[in-house]
Amino acid sequence: MAYLERASPTLKETLLKIYRAEKPIEVDQHFHEFGSIEYHIKYSVSDPNIVHVSTSTLLETQGAVTLKEISSHTYEVIKNIGVGVIDIVDPPRLGFQLTLGLNLDNIPRGKEAIKIITRISELQAIILSSQLKEMLRSLNFQDDSRSINNMPIRIVYHPSEPFYVFKQPEKITAVFPMNFKDNSDVVIATSFFQELVEVGSQKDMGKAPQCSWSPIPPLQLRGEPVQDLTTNSGFVSFDITSRHIEGKRLDKTVWNLLNFYACAKYHIKCSRGYIQRRMRKRMETLVKLLNNTSLEEEAAQNENGRCKYVKEFVKVPKRKLMMKQRCKEMTRRVKISKFRIKINGCARFRFNQRWISLPKFSSKPSDKSYTKLD
Amino acid sequence: MANSLRLYLACIKNTLEAAMCLQNFPCQEVERHNKPEVELKTSPELLLNPVLICRNEAEKCLIETSINSLRISLKVKQADELENILTKKFLRFLSMRAEAFQVLRRKPVQGYDISFLITNYHCEEMQKQKLIDFIIQFMEDIEKEIRDLKESVNTRGRLVATEFLKQFM
Repeated sequence: MAYLERASPTLKETLLKIYRAEKPIEVDQHFHEFGSIEYHIKYSVSDPNIVHVSTSTLLETQGAVTLKEISSHTYEVIKNIGVGVIDIVDPPRLGFQLTLGLNLDNIPRGKEAIKIITRISELQAIILSSQLKEMLRSLNFQDDSRSINNMPIRIVYHPSEPFYVFKQPEKITAVFPMNFKDNSDVVIATSFFQELVEVGSQKDMGKAPQCSWSPIPPLQLRGEPVQDLTTNSGFVSFDITSRHIEGKRLDKTVWNLLNFYACAKYHIKCSRGYIQRRMRKRMETLVKLLNNTSLEEEAAQNENGRCKYVKEFVKVPKRKLMMKQRCKEMTRRVKISKFRIKINGCARFRFNQRWISLPKFSSKPSDKSYTKLD
Repeated sequence: MANSLRLYLACIKNTLEAAMCLQNFPCQEVERHNKPEVELKTSPELLLNPVLICRNEAEKCLIETSINSLRISLKVKQADELENILTKKFLRFLSMRAEAFQVLRRKPVQGYDISFLITNYHCEEMQKQKLIDFIIQFMEDIEKEIRDLKESVNTRGRLVATEFLKQFM
């Protein structure tokens, strides 16, 4: 299936890296995107002028006509991206549908180069869109006869995401059977489809294709494979009229149809993320609330009230504190000497006790025995 | 707050105030063990009659009391599929993190969405009134959060749908 951005980020990055490299670098990169799209980029130091880009996708259309290959019109569109820059290699690399030879020397310098490389990175989007564009063009809106042309066409760009296009009087209907793995995804998706139908029926959206959602498949799909018609999120249909494929609108319509699955999935993913974030936040609030109930918390709060005084003591300068301690020690010693408990061997000192007065040692400046001279 | 919700919460609060007079009580079956009697239910004389408070069919609260423990089980309203999935998701999220709550049970009692287990130790460590207030606040918050989440998901869906259809125009 197609994706929200037309250009493949990895392909673009690699091509820009090759283009910007001062010395030719050896590149042999093979990667997959979205499970069904495959790329191979080959750039050799021995042949520094040409980059080979091969790609393949699941391009299968079944119906009145069966298409599995890239059409000649698509080749023309690809060639026109950069005349003189892109060569289509025939036959393509083994296992791929299309191989391009890119002449980097022919790419004009500056901003134009980035533009062309971005356009080359849109290779898959071009291939996928071209086929659907041709199909929409070939289905004649004016012809109302019930011919073989009215048979549904099954389009598979991703193995698990096929969709159908069939002709009806004065319109073409695209039907998307929707399937999701997770139950919560199904619920979010169903709510989204209902919103889609509701929004589509508003007056402001009169020019948009009419959208409908149904849990059962449309009658026209009778006889199609059972696995396609077995869904857990129902069927979403878009009615495309001739207005939607006029001129530039065709490109937009095709791209939007290709992106419908991606759009729905992206919405679900974002919604799930949002729900998770909200839940986490709420949990934190509740835990905080519960922690406030503990008795220790209350005791800590009370202690915090006392701490102010402790801090005041702590703030006393070191010198003053030492002085205080010395005074205390001295007072304590004197007190011991005056203690009334008899200690053997110390009796001779008791006689003098009456005359011994206990001096007061204090660190307070007010107690100091000096007077200020004027 | 809706009048019916206020009455429902007031009833739960009063019942909890009456029920939450727990004391230490060693297990009668196993020596030197101390287990919540409301969970074991081995001695009927240690259990009180359970109280079921219903706001409506979909919203109810079961309070089971014993001499040393109290179990509160809640069933939250689920009006439609989206509310159902949001409630399940949220309450499962909380149950999985039960260790952060101390009084939350890892698995709810059958037929209910979430359960709390309060023992005499919890009552010794926490203030009884604040604990009751927490339960009431929890119930209010859950309902509010689910309502807000549902609204947000629908609003987001609507915006995405509008943007998607606008691209065709």
